[in-house]
Amino acid sequence: MSQTIISIDNVRKSYGHFEVLKGISLDVPRGQVVALLGPSGSGKSTLLRCINHLETINAGKIHVNGELIGYEERGHRLHQLPDKQIARQRRAIGMVFQSFNLFRHMTVLDNVMSGPLQVLRQNRGEARTKALELLGLVGLSDKADSYPSQLSGGQQQRVAIARTLAMEPKVLLLDEPTSALDPELSKEVISTIRGLADLGYTMMIATHEMSIASSFCDRAVFMADGHVVEDRPAAEFFAAPREARTRQFLDHYADSAH
Amino acid sequence: MMTAAQSHFAPEPVQEVVHRRNWGAWLLSFLCLGLILAVLRAGIEARILDPELFVQYLFSEQILIGARNALVLGSLAMVLACGVGLVVALMRVSGNPIMASIAAIYVYFFRGTPMLIQLLFWFNAVPIMFGEISIPLPFTDIMLLQAPTTQMVTPFVAALIGLSLAEAGYMSEIIRTGIQAVDQGQQAAARALGMTRAQVMRRVVIPQAARIILPAGGNQYIMMLKSTSLASAIGYLELLRIATDIYSSNFLVVELLTVAAVWYLVMTAFATGIQTMLEKTFPLR
Ligand SMILES: Nc1ncnc2c1ncn2[C@@H]1O[C@H](COP(=O)(O)OP(=O)(O)O)[C@@H](O)[C@H]1O
Ligand SMILES: [Mg+2]
Repeated sequence: MSQTIISIDNVRKSYGHFEVLKGISLDVPRGQVVALLGPSGSGKSTLLRCINHLETINAGKIHVNGELIGYEERGHRLHQLPDKQIARQRRAIGMVFQSFNLFRHMTVLDNVMSGPLQVLRQNRGEARTKALELLGLVGLSDKADSYPSQLSGGQQQRVAIARTLAMEPKVLLLDEPTSALDPELSKEVISTIRGLADLGYTMMIATHEMSIASSFCDRAVFMADGHVVEDRPAAEFFAAPREARTRQFLDHYADSAH
Repeated sequence: MMTAAQSHFAPEPVQEVVHRRNWGAWLLSFLCLGLILAVLRAGIEARILDPELFVQYLFSEQILIGARNALVLGSLAMVLACGVGLVVALMRVSGNPIMASIAAIYVYFFRGTPMLIQLLFWFNAVPIMFGEISIPLPFTDIMLLQAPTTQMVTPFVAALIGLSLAEAGYMSEIIRTGIQAVDQGQQAAARALGMTRAQVMRRVVIPQAARIILPAGGNQYIMMLKSTSLASAIGYLELLRIATDIYSSNFLVVELLTVAAVWYLVMTAFATGIQTMLEKTFPLR
């Protein structure tokens, strides 16, 4: 058994009276690549945003790398940590967004260096060397001095991935990384993500892209209405889904692929 | 197919393209020009302005001092207004109901009352409210500063405080809309990298908000430079005050008002120049 790096224990999350996550439990071992599937509105983004405490939770616990995220246990209560400590915890948790979210006033290179410079307080030379190396990894060495607005969506997403990797995170959360891209541009991003899987990164990928989920994910987690409906090795999941909800969902994709 | 084959052998003559002209706009523009000329002519024929005296006063020492005073007062007040405005804007978006209310009330008062009343208030009421201003060195009896308020609140100081606090009301609203225009996604990304809230503000939000509000800020700066003329009400010797002082003794009203107007135009051109330069140096991305 390899070591658990993300541990989600009975997590509940509500917006007002609307409960989005109704008790989610999930353990992710180091190096595993998890596809998070489910219809839109099922709570995939919310779950990912809870893992790095961009959203607070109403009940349950999330541990990353053995550390309780966002809270501190005192007696029988969980007290929310101060901003500084949460910021420190987030260093180990990389996140890639559907809409890339590059800093538009910075060059590509400055985007990639922003974490190491501002957060890790590395010196410029060191950060620069590392950033250029990462831009090489995502195939964008020649774009270092461009601004995000001068790049295609696929290129922007690869820069966003490089920016995240510059923090040397222990885990990566990817929230529909290809949903804003047309199929041609999706391909280059998918191959970048596949490369990360090969490098051994632990990843949770919320996606509607079956070519991600079925080709290089180890495990598929299907969510609906705030519950985990089915959670199995990806190969089994796609070959023989067990639950009716899952079959319905997969059939829908098989249909729309034609 | 036929035409394609034909044109291959016998190209048709190139036809001239005639676009519509907007005759109405041309007619109106000539009417406008005529009107402008009529006004200028009336002024020249009536000899409202002695050109020699005009030029003489344009570069007279007193007028130049007044122009400099206006520029210094207006620019300092604008810088302070940006600082105070930023603080008020951050209070407004802080999410704390008391801070947000205080900020809203600040904006309401300082935008809602005439600047002239505010200037007169600072100059007259503050020395009554606080007879003496004293700033002690913390934890000791030593006074860093101790003086009667009337001595410290000079017309310049009162004007500077009044103009910048009033302007901060406008600037805070401009800055707030700028801050809110920076997209949430970038802020989430910055926090996901491990930046603290303060770092997100400083590194991601404020640089982009500053660029967004630049045109509106330039506009406010121009208004501010002209608002310095209000300081004449509390006896500060700025451009308009000096001009009126001169013409009340020699009755060269039009000459001196025109002189003042020319210097306000020069200041406006200066402010516009700074704005254009900044807009080019930091293009919108
Ligand atoms: N900030 C929010 N305020 C209120 N409701 C929200 C908020 N964010 C998400 N929701 C709701 O939570 C549900 C789950 O959203 P989300 O996690 O984005 O789903 P998914 O990523 O699976 O499409 C949706 O019904 C959505 O409307
Ligand atoms: Mg989503």
